Amino acid sequence: MYIQIKELSFSYGRSQKPIINNFNLEIAKGDIVSILGESGSGKSTILRLICGLETPVCGSISINKQMMSDGRHCILPEKRSIGMMFQDYALFPHMSVADNVQFGLKHKSRKDKRKRVDQVLELVNMSDFRNRYPHELSGGQQQRIALARSLAPEPSLLLMDEPFSNLDADLQIKIRNELRDIIKATGTTSIFVTHDREDARAIADRIITMREGSAYEWDSLCTIDDLTEPALVD
Amino acid sequence: MKLNRQFSRLLNGWMILSIGIVLLILFPNISILINFFTQETSNWDHIKTHILPLLIQNTSIIMIFTGFFTIMIGTSLAWLVSAYDFPFKRFFQWGLILPLAIPPYIAAYTYNGMLNYTGVIQTGLRNQFNIQVDQRYFDIMTLPGSIFIFTLFLYPYVYMITRAFLANQSAALIENAKMLGSNSFEIFFRVVMPISRGAIVGGVSLVLLEVLNDYGVVQYFGIPTFSTAIFQTWFGMGDLNAAIKLSATLMFIVFFILIVEKFLRGRKRYSYTAARVRPLTPIRLTGWRAWSVFAYAGIIFALAFLIPVIQLVDWMVLTYDKMIDPVFLSLIFNSLFVALAGAAMIVIFAVIVANFARTQQNWLSKASTRTIILGYSIPGAVIAVGIITVFIQIDELLFGIYEAIGLDPTLILSTSLFMLISAFVIRFLAVGFNAIESGFDKTGIKFSEASRTLGMSMTKTFFKVDVHLIKGAIFSGFILSFIEIMKELPLTLILRPFNFDTLSTKAFQYASDEQIHEASLPSIIIIVLSGIAIYFFHHVVEKEPD
Repeated sequence: MYIQIKELSFSYGRSQKPIINNFNLEIAKGDIVSILGESGSGKSTILRLICGLETPVCGSISINKQMMSDGRHCILPEKRSIGMMFQDYALFPHMSVADNVQFGLKHKSRKDKRKRVDQVLELVNMSDFRNRYPHELSGGQQQRIALARSLAPEPSLLLMDEPFSNLDADLQIKIRNELRDIIKATGTTSIFVTHDREDARAIADRIITMREGSAYEWDSLCTIDDLTEPALVD
Repeated sequence: MKLNRQFSRLLNGWMILSIGIVLLILFPNISILINFFTQETSNWDHIKTHILPLLIQNTSIIMIFTGFFTIMIGTSLAWLVSAYDFPFKRFFQWGLILPLAIPPYIAAYTYNGMLNYTGVIQTGLRNQFNIQVDQRYFDIMTLPGSIFIFTLFLYPYVYMITRAFLANQSAALIENAKMLGSNSFEIFFRVVMPISRGAIVGGVSLVLLEVLNDYGVVQYFGIPTFSTAIFQTWFGMGDLNAAIKLSATLMFIVFFILIVEKFLRGRKRYSYTAARVRPLTPIRLTGWRAWSVFAYAGIIFALAFLIPVIQLVDWMVLTYDKMIDPVFLSLIFNSLFVALAGAAMIVIFAVIVANFARTQQNWLSKASTRTIILGYSIPGAVIAVGIITVFIQIDELLFGIYEAIGLDPTLILSTSLFMLISAFVIRFLAVGFNAIESGFDKTGIKFSEASRTLGMSMTKTFFKVDVHLIKGAIFSGFILSFIEIMKELPLTLILRPFNFDTLSTKAFQYASDEQIHEASLPSIIIIVLSGIAIYFFHHVVEKEPD
């Protein structure tokens, strides 16, 4: 499998109750997986563990056969080449749209960087906004720039934390279909976290539910409301 | 294995530098505590039996009364300004903080200059009304006089913190009390004072630490306290060892205050973080009530700022033309140089530790921030003694190297400006640190995390993202520590290299040599600079929505 997460556990502080408890997940290349859960179920923490902003207590994470984190070492977040789209986007307020998107591009000539920025801005349909600053954009536009910024360095995995929580309801429906198309167009393996079943159904190839720090899996083709007794993965 | 992995993840340049900075602050203080337990000298024996009781007595009396009066004045003003509208309230809101711009030692000699036999009050009474006054009633150079000075020029600490608390936290409780039919006095003593206890304790402990730090007022008034005794045993008796023992005793008193503060504050928390903060709606006062509140605030403002400043300006007008010469310009240059160098170092160190502390939430980062705050509680004279013992030891270690590079093996570092600037960093790092930490708190961690996931290391993230987002906080930290260093007296007096004078040391020297008029110009410069900073931070910054 492209992504393998095994027996992952995590807690803040030693004596605290674990937030993530024996979490297992495998994802095939190019799949979009949604993690569905109530607030406080630990779903955002999973993303932070995968991208390296937190260190797990035990368990392992590997991407494309490369070990990101296990009992012995833990690769720093900047070395993982995992893209992360934050809940409130975290666009750098002191940089223009183009500078934001270019931020993660390294080891490229100036010309290539510009080319790549143009390419991803076109992908998210924001080419006309390259010289604007984040505060001059609407919520939906900021979201697309955040997506463009995380896709620009061609990450091996894209993580999205509640990508629609800051959008109006009508915009949310329009954008989530667009988002799926964009991600599918790039073929990026993705995990996104949400508390909204409709979001999960609209975007994901597979849906995982979080409950008390462990994962359960549903088949996304069924109606979610029918499924009251989820089957345990593994 | 887990610990090992955690550690290697933490181990980066930021952590190493932070530990270095924390050790720099700890060393002098630890060296004092260790030396407290060394062999007693005969001087110390003498001090212990004949002088120490007097020091403790004087220090306690000053602390108790200053504490009491600053609580009374500071809390009452904070309450009046928060709960009522009266003439010129908008001015008083920040104007009542302005006395902090006048260092107590400057206030001390200004008041003495006004009140003594040749001062403006007595000559006025003699020449205009032919009244001869009893000198006893006009002598401010006494223990009560020092309490008067400390109260007037330090109450703003209590006022500031209590007002901030009342403005944000108290609306619901106070409005309830009103509806239950309490009158204004009852509300003040039975509701306002108890609920603001945490804020009041915080403010008054700053006042007490300033009192313990003071050297200028008590030295000028001739009142033996710990600071003056430390100077005397060291420079008068040449007994560094006894000075260390005195310093350690003073440090125990500081620790005692900090523990009491923690105890008084920590047991109950009177704050409502969950509820939405609603500001207190002020009541408009009219008629005699309005004017009596105005008179109260006005009198405090006049005594603690207006009158001394007018007096100093008057003296300055008499003397400024003969004061401004190359020597004076060199004073300004010296002051600016040490303050700029010190503030720059403080800001750099503060940024390093603050960035380390916010990215790594663990015991080490917590201990680092605590230590930095501690440095600000230690009186100047104690830091001076500590740092000089450390620097002399370093010099002795380096004798070999000095010889090898062709220098005389003498005390080089411990007679240099570098030592003075290091002392400023130790004493005022907390000032810059608080400003920068609150800047980091405001921007949060998400931008840095976004940068990390986009492939930037912690250091690159810092230069490309963090610095731009906390520019304002860095600037605030720089200005605040710059002003503190400009005003500072005891450290500068003890640690300055031979023949090196700053505005504050020269002003104090002039005043001590009965050249009070000449002291006015450097004093005014210090007051104006501090006043601008206070205006900027409490008037301009507070008005900004964010």
